[in-house]
Amino acid sequence: MDFEKRGEILLQNIIFVILNLLFLVVLILFVTSRANSAHVLEEGYAKQIALLIDAANPPMLIKLNMEKARRVAEKNDIPFSKVVRIRGNVVTVRLDSGEGYSYSFFNNVDVGNPYPDGDFYIFPISAKE
Amino acid sequence: MGEKILSVYWFAILVIVAGAIFVMAGIFYGSPYDVREIEAHLLSNRVADCLVRQGNLQKEIFDGKSFLLNEQNFLDLCRLNFSSPDFEREQYFVRVEVFGQQEPERKIFELEYGNKNLEADCKIEKEYSRTASCERRVLFGLDKDGKLYKIKILSVVGKIKKNVR
Repeated sequence: MDFEKRGEILLQNIIFVILNLLFLVVLILFVTSRANSAHVLEEGYAKQIALLIDAANPPMLIKLNMEKARRVAEKNDIPFSKVVRIRGNVVTVRLDSGEGYSYSFFNNVDVGNPYPDGDFYIFPISAKE
Repeated sequence: MGEKILSVYWFAILVIVAGAIFVMAGIFYGSPYDVREIEAHLLSNRVADCLVRQGNLQKEIFDGKSFLLNEQNFLDLCRLNFSSPDFEREQYFVRVEVFGQQEPERKIFELEYGNKNLEADCKIEKEYSRTASCERRVLFGLDKDGKLYKIKILSVVGKIKKNVR
């Protein structure tokens, strides 16, 4: 009788601990998914690229690691080669079917066609004619 | 009975903790990254490089007698592009002031370019982040005769809706 009672308490505690761990895992997954969401990454990369171009002195090649962007883009069926677009002085990064995120830069340089190289993106910077 | 009451309380605590974390993550990741301070710093660097190179005033800027910089050629000479397609008005402002060595208080050259309305934000305390970001820079440059000039640069970046919630 006494042994049965002890076994019950142990089982209850194990279930309690497992449920708590499950709760913790769900929370961690939620925060991680928010941190790596397409919109957050689009904004971060667009601003990072714009600031890199602002700091650039032509002629220059900028190589940026965009591994996270590649993973998210591929998950959303967006080819990695179409993730970054530069029109005039505006950088647009698109990682899902939406419009993407755009940010402008003030450095009046010629940014050639940016192209992917593995997990990296290459930005050729040259002086404007 | 006591254990059941305890588990109800524990469940309530879990719900509160989860709710708080959901709200905090939503606020944190929902707010844009504010990069205007870095942008204002880079703008100051760009203007400083345009005026002075290795301690000497650039020939395109100062011909030995007068300053050649004006509102018409400022963007071209400093390789800048202030157009901001996402905004109705210009989102940058730059002021350059030059003082001579003989009379350090007398301004011998001044140039303002961009959206002057943004300048008023520089007088507001920095804690209020819904204002433009400003950077002030002081540097010195020599002309070809060895005369020293003090140059003050103020660069301001607006872009509030893209950087502040």
